[in-house]
Amino acid sequence: MKYAYYPGCSLHGPAKGYDLSVKAVCKNLDIELWEVPDWTCCGASSAHSFGHLLGLAIPAQTLVPAEQEGLDIVAPCAACWQRLVWVNHEVTTNAKTRDEINQAIGAELTGSSKVLSIMEAVASAGMEKIAQATKKPLKGLKIAAYYGCYYVKPPKVAHVDDPESPKLIDDIMAAVGAEPVDWPYKTECCGASLGFVEFDTTLAMSAKVLDYAIKSGADMIVTACPLCQQNLDMQQSTINKKFGTNHKIPVTYFTQLMAYAFGMSDKEAAMHKNFTSYQSALAKLG
Amino acid sequence: MSTTVNLSQMQKDHGDFIERVRKLSGQDVRKCYQCGKCSAGCAVHNCQGMDVSPNRVMRMVQLGMEEEVLKSKTIWVCVLCSTCTTRCPRDIDIARVMDALRILSKKNNTFVNAKNANTFHETFMNSIIKYGRVYEAGLAVTLTLKYGYGFNLIGIGPAALAKGTLPFFPPKLKNPEQIKKIVENVEKIERMEGEK
Repeated sequence: MKYAYYPGCSLHGPAKGYDLSVKAVCKNLDIELWEVPDWTCCGASSAHSFGHLLGLAIPAQTLVPAEQEGLDIVAPCAACWQRLVWVNHEVTTNAKTRDEINQAIGAELTGSSKVLSIMEAVASAGMEKIAQATKKPLKGLKIAAYYGCYYVKPPKVAHVDDPESPKLIDDIMAAVGAEPVDWPYKTECCGASLGFVEFDTTLAMSAKVLDYAIKSGADMIVTACPLCQQNLDMQQSTINKKFGTNHKIPVTYFTQLMAYAFGMSDKEAAMHKNFTSYQSALAKLG
Repeated sequence: MSTTVNLSQMQKDHGDFIERVRKLSGQDVRKCYQCGKCSAGCAVHNCQGMDVSPNRVMRMVQLGMEEEVLKSKTIWVCVLCSTCTTRCPRDIDIARVMDALRILSKKNNTFVNAKNANTFHETFMNSIIKYGRVYEAGLAVTLTLKYGYGFNLIGIGPAALAKGTLPFFPPKLKNPEQIKKIVENVEKIERMEGEK
């Protein structure tokens, strides 16, 4: 299996651990990733608020090399993924917009490369293969799988899974031996890039997500989005200070936990690059 | 505090507002019948982040309250999570309406209640036009200098630098001008479209 790979800005910056663990997990599952050469930013969360065409043309460029190579493309960042999905949606359903996009980027996009989320790419290897690759089953580790909003809403365009009750990451976590918990805030927004604009509101939004994950009995939250991860992990101590809470729940990318289950050490899976302490949760595994 | 709104005058002056919103978003706001599901599920509104609830924004668009809507904080703090869109029984993509209202607000220069949002988006765009990718550290520093915080840089910046998760230097592309070129092309296309 071979996919074009679009890491996006976050995975080369704050979400390095995500990039690294995505690559490790794919390697273990015989999924080859071909990084789009000299890729550019997808424009989220700003370009689309400057103009509809601008918001589509900027990410559209990334799809050109993938289409030329005849490969489906994987984008592990939820915002990048949704921007690319929007491009394909418009290219395949709106001829006028398609022509304008192509004119803006000087190419002939047809929408032939499917845009996959990292969960879909990983799951394409098959749950059986994931279970077979697992060397250290995460037995007894209770996981709150947090999808955030962009992968599942609006469902007419972005539909990795059910918009209110998705299961794909839960299933993957179960395949590596962990115990996914049922919880109500799976697809509630963490505040995303509003953290740059209205920091206090973002903290309040993320605080609710943390609260429900903990109340649902989770030892750990896993995400598939750099913004979710940063809001819940990096800002957790700030949230505690602001709301007088004492949350200590580790937040990792689900691929980090997979890499760990596949036999990598916590450091090799770059878990120490996260801000929340994960040792006590992993200690449960013995 | 109560305000009086002259609806007849509104319709006379801004009767085509709903049509302009439709053209830009592809969404017919006329369909909204004020069930309030969008506001009930809005994560930002539920954290008291908005000055006008999403269902009220829809009603204001229907009434032609153009200035009031485009001045609202709501359209800029909406995170486009699309929970409203997902749950709308009238099948309106409310998030897209919000995005269209932002575009109009930007054109009219009316972000009175959302100056930070404007600063953020402008700084972000400048960053990707210049480098081709986001230069996070640069963005955070610029925003912190401009309005006091940029993703809690002061709080977590030092730790992020120590962990090596906040690259100090800007990204380096073989061709950093790719986005600049697209922005110029889009401007050309939109100019031609406007002249038609």
